[in-house]
Amino acid sequence: MPIRYLKKHAALEGQVSADDAEALGQWLRDQNAPVVHLGKCDQVHSAVLQVLMALRPRVSAPPADPWLAEALNAAAA
Amino acid sequence: MNSTELLDQFILEARECLEQIGQRLLEVERAPDDKALLNDLFRQVHTLKGNCGLFDFKPLERVVHAGEDLLDRVRNGTLAYNAGIADALLEAMDYTGELIDLIAKEGNVPAAADTRAQALAAALRQHLSPAGVAAAVAPAAAAAASAASAPVPVPEPEPDWLKALPAAVRQPGRVALRYRPEAECFFKGEDPWHLARQTPGLQHLQAAPQQAWAAPEVFDCYRCNLLLTLVSDAPQAYVEEHFRYVPEQVELHLLQAPPAAAPAAAPAAVVDDAVGELMRGRIVRIWDEQRALLGRPGIAAGTVAATHTTFNHLLACWADTTAASSARRALAGLAPGATPLAGWAVQYHPAAASTGDLPSPSAIVAPLEPRRGSTPAVADEAGAGANGQKVLRVSQDKIDRLMDLIGEMVVAKNALPYLAQRAEDVFNQRELAREIKTQYSVINRIAEDMQHAIMQVRMLPVGTVFQRFGRLVRDISKKLGKDVSLVIEGEDTEADKNVIESLADPLIHILRNSLDHGIELPAVRLAAGKPAQGTLRVAARQEGDRVILDISDDGAGVHTGRVRAKAVERGLIPADRADSLTEHEAVQLVFLPGFSTAEAISDLSGRGVGMDVVRNAVERVNGTVELSSTPGQGTKIRLTLPLSMAVTNVMMIETAGRRFGVPMDLIVETVRVPAEDIHHFKRAQTVVLRGRIVPLRALNELLALDMPPRLNADAEHAVLVVRLGAETIGLLVDDFHGTSDIILKPLEGVLTGITGFAGTALMGDGSVLMILNPKELV
Repeated sequence: MPIRYLKKHAALEGQVSADDAEALGQWLRDQNAPVVHLGKCDQVHSAVLQVLMALRPRVSAPPADPWLAEALNAAAA
Repeated sequence: MNSTELLDQFILEARECLEQIGQRLLEVERAPDDKALLNDLFRQVHTLKGNCGLFDFKPLERVVHAGEDLLDRVRNGTLAYNAGIADALLEAMDYTGELIDLIAKEGNVPAAADTRAQALAAALRQHLSPAGVAAAVAPAAAAAASAASAPVPVPEPEPDWLKALPAAVRQPGRVALRYRPEAECFFKGEDPWHLARQTPGLQHLQAAPQQAWAAPEVFDCYRCNLLLTLVSDAPQAYVEEHFRYVPEQVELHLLQAPPAAAPAAAPAAVVDDAVGELMRGRIVRIWDEQRALLGRPGIAAGTVAATHTTFNHLLACWADTTAASSARRALAGLAPGATPLAGWAVQYHPAAASTGDLPSPSAIVAPLEPRRGSTPAVADEAGAGANGQKVLRVSQDKIDRLMDLIGEMVVAKNALPYLAQRAEDVFNQRELAREIKTQYSVINRIAEDMQHAIMQVRMLPVGTVFQRFGRLVRDISKKLGKDVSLVIEGEDTEADKNVIESLADPLIHILRNSLDHGIELPAVRLAAGKPAQGTLRVAARQEGDRVILDISDDGAGVHTGRVRAKAVERGLIPADRADSLTEHEAVQLVFLPGFSTAEAISDLSGRGVGMDVVRNAVERVNGTVELSSTPGQGTKIRLTLPLSMAVTNVMMIETAGRRFGVPMDLIVETVRVPAEDIHHFKRAQTVVLRGRIVPLRALNELLALDMPPRLNADAEHAVLVVRLGAETIGLLVDDFHGTSDIILKPLEGVLTGITGFAGTALMGDGSVLMILNPKELV
């Protein structure tokens, strides 16, 4: 399971595919102050990326991929 | 198309490719600086490699790939073409040919083939190493070279989006790229972010929304709204290659040395005329491209926005600022959507409206006008297809079947005159008979046209056989240490496919003979006062319904003394006869079966299968061979072949109450000779015709029919004069009938051994006509 929805945050792990984007979007919308944990995330699909960029959850742990981290930072700013 | 069909197609194409490659290799060796040739060669190899990639033929691909790499280097001028490379490539090509044959036979490549393939690939790659430091840099160098050879880079105006990039990454020589994926791209299985992430030489990557993100409630995560901007330090060609599937969604920009200060200000004002011209030309081009884009059906809103932006930028580049500003105002006031924008683009076209002094664009605009709103790309392709010559691949079986059918048609058509005759004779319907004859002439004409058309399909230029000769002559002359140039003339001459194919082996025999026995070593040639390089000339031409092939060399000629001695030594002719032969006759001895002058058996010649094989092969297709030789000056062999051998024209004759056919091409004339003019000498009969003595033979006698030749009312013999080789002979027959086109069917089964008959044919009235073979009879 690439995304584990926990009480305090959603943990994205490994490769997150396009199929997970919808559920992630829904979860982020349902939360008051959503938090995502990307520490163990290797790669996200573009659809997931734009969900993260559009809904701007707080990132508790940045992803290892510098490009991804930068893209998310830029979106959050 | 299922996989076997695909494989068949592959084999067919691969063979074609290999043939072309072989020819090009030799041509390139002759003219190593010819870029066009090299490019063509490279393209052929590249096609072959691409085709190999369709199947899992690893050894094949390995060899071809290595060859391609090598050729790429040669093509880019980083490696000089030399004989070593040529040899390696030719060897690799031969092996590829073997592999293709194997695949054709077994449908697969045996695992054992891989070791040989690896060795060959290694041999090819060996040529790569000395010139370049490492093979890996080769493609990069190639890309750089191609970039350098591009037309003088004129600084393009830097698009606005570049300014969004941090200055640190905007270094000269790097490639900046903006990737605007389509909204629906996720449904096509694309992953733009991943694609951008994987860009070679990625230095900077940033993602932004194309349009501001929608409110969370209405946000659709499966509509792509990403706008990716990246900078790479890889060569532009690499980046282009990486984004090859989405070329219309990316904008590439090669970063220039100093980030030009406000390039969009008024470029046309400051640059000189030539650049200004180019600039305007480009504006018009981009303008038209944008319009073409707008004309596409189902255009996405994002694309419209992008074209809108592009138009805006283009306006900034206009020389005529007042026109630009008015156009800009009109653009700003435009309703959203593709149609109004397209209308605006036509109205404010840079060529038509404001900057009317542009030189070229009218030519570009004109063809665009009528198909606005349709799909320009598709129309373009259709246009190209109509212009290009269409080629249909048809298997030979189908053509042969057509050939058989038309043959039957000819026979069936021939039944009509009989029918007309019957209508007249039996039923006394003269009127009807005449109508049948009229109809017959119509059908006859159509059938003849059809036959002719099908013949044309089967016609091949003789050059297809000649193609192999270049290689053959090169290899053999190298092996023998001789210097020979091959001159080919008239390769466009056409003849029936079967005739052409039956030619290949005899011709190779003849060429080998000429190379081995005819042309001397360079030293010997110089001593004889001839140029060191020997010339082997193959010339083809058409003469009437025959194709004539002359193969001549400027070598030593046939040594008649040795030929006589050898013929006697091998017991082919008695010694006393050998001495009485004229020079010309002595030369003909080489056609005797089992004749060979070579002392030792080499792999080239000397196995006693020589010219008699050539003669047999040629005679099998109704051809003839003539050999003439001048000692010290060379040998000339002339092959005369029929254009086609499917339909034979025969003359029908009658003897002893039976009808026979005689092939028309053998007949010299038909004469009536009064019985008293025939001279009898012992049992031989002769007659003098046009001052020449012609020996006579009674056909009845030859066919063992126990009847004397019949005389007509004027006491004359019917004499059919036929040509046998160089001689003419008269056949005494009873009567002549007309000629007829027939499909000659060879005798089959137990009858095969009867050589007196060439075959049989079915006549229009249903009877069977036996076709004589006078060569064997007499």
